[in-house]
Amino acid sequence: MKRMLLVVAAVALAAARLLAHHSFAAEFDASKAIRVTGTLTKVEWTNPHIYFYLDAKDEQGKVVQWTCESAAPGALSRRGFKRGDLKLGDTIVVDGYRAKNGANLVDARRVTLPDGRIVSGGSAGDGGPQ
Amino acid sequence: MTARRAGLATIASLCVLALSGVGIRAQLQVPDFKSNRPTPRMANGKPDFSGYWKGTTDTKPVGNIGKDLPGWKLPLTPAGEAALKHNLTATIDPESLCIIGGIPRHNASGLPFEVLQGNNKIAFLYWYSYFRLIPIDPNRKHSDDPDPSFFGEELGRWEGDTLVIDSIGFKEEKVWIDENANPHSDALHVVERWTRPDADHIHVDTLIEDPKFYTKPFTYSRTWVLGKPDEEIQEYACSENNVDAAHLGFGPGPIRPDGTRGYIDPAPLPPPLPRK
Repeated sequence: MKRMLLVVAAVALAAARLLAHHSFAAEFDASKAIRVTGTLTKVEWTNPHIYFYLDAKDEQGKVVQWTCESAAPGALSRRGFKRGDLKLGDTIVVDGYRAKNGANLVDARRVTLPDGRIVSGGSAGDGGPQ
Repeated sequence: MTARRAGLATIASLCVLALSGVGIRAQLQVPDFKSNRPTPRMANGKPDFSGYWKGTTDTKPVGNIGKDLPGWKLPLTPAGEAALKHNLTATIDPESLCIIGGIPRHNASGLPFEVLQGNNKIAFLYWYSYFRLIPIDPNRKHSDDPDPSFFGEELGRWEGDTLVIDSIGFKEEKVWIDENANPHSDALHVVERWTRPDADHIHVDTLIEDPKFYTKPFTYSRTWVLGKPDEEIQEYACSENNVDAAHLGFGPGPIRPDGTRGYIDPAPLPPPLPRK
């Protein structure tokens, strides 16, 4: 039953992906898939996208800030991804695509929370990888 | 059927949907279906278009105003070709900068919309907190020189059970006619013919005339299905925190051979972490 509910949750999540504010390809590079693992320092639960900010170490061990862009609050809430799921100081893992302009900005299409829960963060209908 | 059995049936049908391989993208829009519920009508006998309307899965490619043309090839004039090139190489999607999409772009959008209808006016409510309010009055005529706007000067009238919306007076700058960055000029003339053939469907045939940018008129047709009773447009303050605006490039990015936006062969994401 638990597994069935997970499947149902996945379907509900998919059906709730409604809002595309802009084309994925206008902002992000689909050849630059990356994983960012960092400490959550700020959350902006706003339209047209939510943003959260991670302090992550680069290859030289230097801490750099990453901006993570996800869908709109309404779309995320309907998927079960709530503002309260993001707690400052938590370690968050983001899988996504880097901005075309080289900024430390990532389209957070898959977000792994500290408890292991994986949520979909991408904007629906933006033509981005699914 | 008991509530528990109904719930299990719903879960089962959702599982079938999930396991059938229907992709996330396809579920942005809902499957079409036949309806045996009659067209609801106003007290004056005219069809009532009120409702929350969602696109159907057979609307492909969404966001491309050339959807109904062979090869999605728009009949661009040389000036139209130049305008398209300009949009692709020198403009950021106006909608992503929180500028109203207007008509006909909203008719080609993947986003649902809501209609509220009165006897003499009809309101279309859109995500991004935009709306258009159209008078239904056969005696109203277009202005000689209407102020340009994104939705244009819109006049509604009934032709039987068809609501006709005739619009002129559009802007020429900061507009894309669809999400693929196709252009329109200030000579745009749009005639929408809206029908509600049953309770669960709404349909439009959108005639697009723009002699500056298109060699001949063309039509974009579309059907939406009725949403659930509790579905409605929510607040969406586009300019609240538009961080992405500083990072957007010109145009929509690559257009795939099927007329949709996006890369053909994106790199895969790193594998998901093992569940705890």
